Amino acid sequence: MKPVQFSVASKLVGDAAVIYPKGYLNNLSGESLVNECGIYIGRGITKIVVNFSETDLINSIGISLILQIMEDLRNIKGTICCTNMSKFLHDTFEMLGLIQHMIVFPSESDAIKYLKAGTP
Amino acid sequence: MPFNAIPAEDFFNRESELHYLKGLSELKKNALGGDVFLEGARGTGKTELLKQLYRLLYWEGDVVPFYYSFKTANLKGAYFAKDYFAGFVRQYISFAKKEPLIAQGSAEPFERLMPAISSLGLYWLIDCIEDFETHVNKNDFYWQIVAAISAPVIAAKKSGKPVIVMLDDFDAAASLYESSLGDTTGLISLFRESMQNSLCPHVMTGSAGALDAIFTDHSLIGMTEQMRLGPLPEDVAAELFGAHLARLKISPPPVEEAKFLAVLKGNPLYIRNLAKAAWKMRKKELHEKDLIECYSFEVSDGETAFYWSSVLSRYMKTAEQRRAMLKILMHSFENQGFDDVKRLSILSGVDETETGAILAAINVSGIIRDKDAVLQDFIRCLYMKEIEGRTAVYAKEKIETKYLSEKEESCFELVIPMSSNAELVVAKAVEQIGKNSNLDAEFLNYLQLALIEVCINAMEHSGSYEKKVFLKFITRPDRLEIIVENSGKPFSPDTRKEIPVEEKLRMGIKRGWGFKLVYAIMDNVKVERVNDRTRVIMTKNLKDKEVLE
Ligand SMILES: Nc1ncnc2c1ncn2[C@@H]1O[C@H](COP(=O)(O)OP(=O)(O)OP(=O)(O)O)[C@@H](O)[C@H]1O
Ligand SMILES: [Mg+2]
Repeated sequence: MKPVQFSVASKLVGDAAVIYPKGYLNNLSGESLVNECGIYIGRGITKIVVNFSETDLINSIGISLILQIMEDLRNIKGTICCTNMSKFLHDTFEMLGLIQHMIVFPSESDAIKYLKAGTP
Repeated sequence: MPFNAIPAEDFFNRESELHYLKGLSELKKNALGGDVFLEGARGTGKTELLKQLYRLLYWEGDVVPFYYSFKTANLKGAYFAKDYFAGFVRQYISFAKKEPLIAQGSAEPFERLMPAISSLGLYWLIDCIEDFETHVNKNDFYWQIVAAISAPVIAAKKSGKPVIVMLDDFDAAASLYESSLGDTTGLISLFRESMQNSLCPHVMTGSAGALDAIFTDHSLIGMTEQMRLGPLPEDVAAELFGAHLARLKISPPPVEEAKFLAVLKGNPLYIRNLAKAAWKMRKKELHEKDLIECYSFEVSDGETAFYWSSVLSRYMKTAEQRRAMLKILMHSFENQGFDDVKRLSILSGVDETETGAILAAINVSGIIRDKDAVLQDFIRCLYMKEIEGRTAVYAKEKIETKYLSEKEESCFELVIPMSSNAELVVAKAVEQIGKNSNLDAEFLNYLQLALIEVCINAMEHSGSYEKKVFLKFITRPDRLEIIVENSGKPFSPDTRKEIPVEEKLRMGIKRGWGFKLVYAIMDNVKVERVNDRTRVIMTKNLKDKEVLE
């Protein structure tokens, strides 16, 4: 386990926002993830990529907050992709039967490609 | 009676105490002391030490030993006086004639002893008996007691031979009464005169808390020296256990499997009882698991349990009081303390005044002075039986599992506050514990996740005032067991209805994934309620190199 501090970095790639949750994804950090997405959604962004390459550990509250973001995007007919999930993270979502409800890519660029292709 | 002392060669490790007590009359003659309050935990061998001293003095002949036990004595004053006086007269004659049987024939009337007294030329003793009988016939309560108590002093003065007065469980004498329990206080102070006599050293025994309670008269405390009888050292304890087993023709446990005996903390009573339990259970040889089995029997239903029941009933007369005491003891063990009356009262459901009174009684009884794991296990069993309505067999099994799973070297305990990110400390700890056992790194991630979930569940839902989560990790070659405990609201994951994921997502239910993860990660998850605590017990069977399927 690496550092536990959680922070969210993000950037805009074309019309998609890429978000990098870092560290331990729990209630506190999950909230800031939700807020960060909220800011982009507020600006009219409907495509979000969450790159988990720097997420070490997660708990069920963090999971529930990701579901929250999925729901927020569904409400505005947006799309969310998850990328760079460790095997552990991937299996965790799978264990809960959630993985089939998510769009998952091995890398960030694959997700961006997918989102571009989807653009009319 | 004092003659059933164990053979001197079976009496371990008390040479210096015995030597010191033997010399008391010399000390007292030279005004260097002479009265000793012998204190020690229950069963450490106070009585046995007196018996050994008695036998020694009896056969040496220079000092007269007199032994009286208050443990089984009837504390009604007139009865006590007769018993004490008759006991002294018989023991004195027995000593003078070197005929042990005389001391034991308690039913014999004094007239039968007259020929022996005359042949010994102890005419002053005849006067003494007559005086005592006069007080009895006059129904003079006070003088009967005084006459009885001063008999050893008179004997010493008349004969010039010092008398060592051994008052076993002397604290009980504080309850001497006239016609009904509690009607008179302070009869115990009638011993004062006798104690001050330079020809009569006194050796009194009692529990550690008792001395201040008995000697409200501080001049007596000043004269009395305290001697503490500690536990037998570990090697001597093992030797004693081995000696008992040898006599019972049972092979002793191999050295590395005998570590469990440490739980008895060198208490000769427990050691003897454990050996006897092995014999009752028809063991021919002992391994660790046999020791644990015998021990669990002892504290749930054996002689040790019987011993402690009778000690407790001395302090708690009614069934109601006993139940209240059990609750309080149980809670104070679980929460490591007796100090906070208010809190104990809330936890145990016994009202505050009664809690206070019971705590005071517990304190005087001295039973909780030394942290005694055996007593704690006994209380746990009694609690299971009397409060939870379980059978003795159930209690025995509980104790057994506790020890079978808890080998010290593979057991870690951790307490965390209910504050944010505290669960990460647990995650970090389990990571290292896992590494120590060569567990697979990825598997450890899951383990961390499961633990984090249980901890945050405790923090979020318990509403506990204590604001602490207690964790215990037990690693075994084939299995890992983790126990998480917290006080507060009961929690039962089974009552949560399993809603299909699709449904959950459609309805926007986002929470409630935690225990689902725990169940998926661990092989077995049990949630129990122990008193006011929720206990989650998780086990994971370890395969060759643990990777989650
Ligand atoms: N030093 C010893 N070596 C061997 N056996 C001992 C020793 N001391 C005590 N014992 C045995 O241990 C048992 C308990 O001893 P004893 O009854 O004297 O304890 P106690 O301190 O008087 O207990 P209580 O507090 O109940 O009065 C007895 O069977 C006794 O024979
Ligand atoms: Mg005793």
